[in-house]
Amino acid sequence: MTNTSIASDARLSRRGIEQLDLLLLTAEALDLNGGEAMLWTSHQLGLKEQFPNRVELWKRRCHNPLRRVTRREGLNPSDAESLIRLVCAMADRLYPMLHQLLSSREPVHLSRQRWGLVAERLGDLVEERLNQRRGAVLRLLDPAQNKDTHRQLVSTLALVAGPGGVDRLRARLLDPTP
Amino acid sequence: MLKTVHRYEQTAALLEVEGFPDLSSGQEGDTVGIVSGWRLQLVGAPELEGTRDHLEALMIAVMPYARHQLSGVRRRFGADDGFVAIAPSGDKHQLELRSSQKGVEPLQLSLDDAELSDLVRCLDRLRLDQRVPVSWNIPEEKPLTRRELVERIPFQQRFGPAVLGVVLLGFFSAGALLIPLPEQRSVDVPNTEARIESPES
Repeated sequence: MTNTSIASDARLSRRGIEQLDLLLLTAEALDLNGGEAMLWTSHQLGLKEQFPNRVELWKRRCHNPLRRVTRREGLNPSDAESLIRLVCAMADRLYPMLHQLLSSREPVHLSRQRWGLVAERLGDLVEERLNQRRGAVLRLLDPAQNKDTHRQLVSTLALVAGPGGVDRLRARLLDPTP
Repeated sequence: MLKTVHRYEQTAALLEVEGFPDLSSGQEGDTVGIVSGWRLQLVGAPELEGTRDHLEALMIAVMPYARHQLSGVRRRFGADDGFVAIAPSGDKHQLELRSSQKGVEPLQLSLDDAELSDLVRCLDRLRLDQRVPVSWNIPEEKPLTRRELVERIPFQQRFGPAVLGVVLLGFFSAGALLIPLPEQRSVDVPNTEARIESPES
């Protein structure tokens, strides 16, 4: 428990914030009503004071340096912790869909169709929200390069789903840049 | 005393843990302080069962494996002579289970990403279940070291730019040596004597 509290005080790097926001974007791509669902889930987690409305949630997510509108100062550790919990709770909600996408037992044509839909929705969100002059964003939009990234994002959500994933995701986001 | 069974179900995985309350610690009711056995059913695989040691070995191998997967580090976890090991195998995950009975061949199970996350979720629930207050000897979740992260980058990608830089530097240095130096011509400077004459008064 002590280790958890020490880790939750740690400040995320720019790469960590990027990854955190991309996971939230992926959750939004999987859920048609993602924005509202995210706010509702945050309230269910008892984060109503921190994120009373969509604007406050958006302001925290704008610390992602890849955003069109970005905030320069670092993300507050307590906000980062809340967003991590939100990602895990959203992943928990979306777990049946994540499972379908990752399962090799699903019919191939159906799986391809589902991945196509995810790529399309995520692409739309990336185009709408992220700065397309950044190389990382262009790679996310390039169909020849983004398949592995999409799979990695969905696989990450599946492995951090639920309350058990919070420590795992926090540790992942605190990884140093190689 | 009746055995208590707790079930943790997640899509393609079902984990059942059975045991008794540890009366010496004041436990009672449906608390399982002493794990007497467990069973794991994965869709399309034979049922697995074992003792607390086997379950702990499963957690010790699978949880750090999942943590490393998140960071893109794909490597084997579990000792060669241990009960459980897990390693990447193509785009799947090979779970190897060894029986403590002699003469029994190890069981190999191939899990896809969905089955791995089902298993991880079942183990997470068990780990966090307050009705099973067992202290599992699982490594804590922490950021990986820079060294571990660097190792996931392929050798060519890691050292390619440096090698290319050295080769180009050598190439251009050799090329520069081949270019003849301009001849140094001696310039005859006329031997003039400057004389400063004092102004006539």
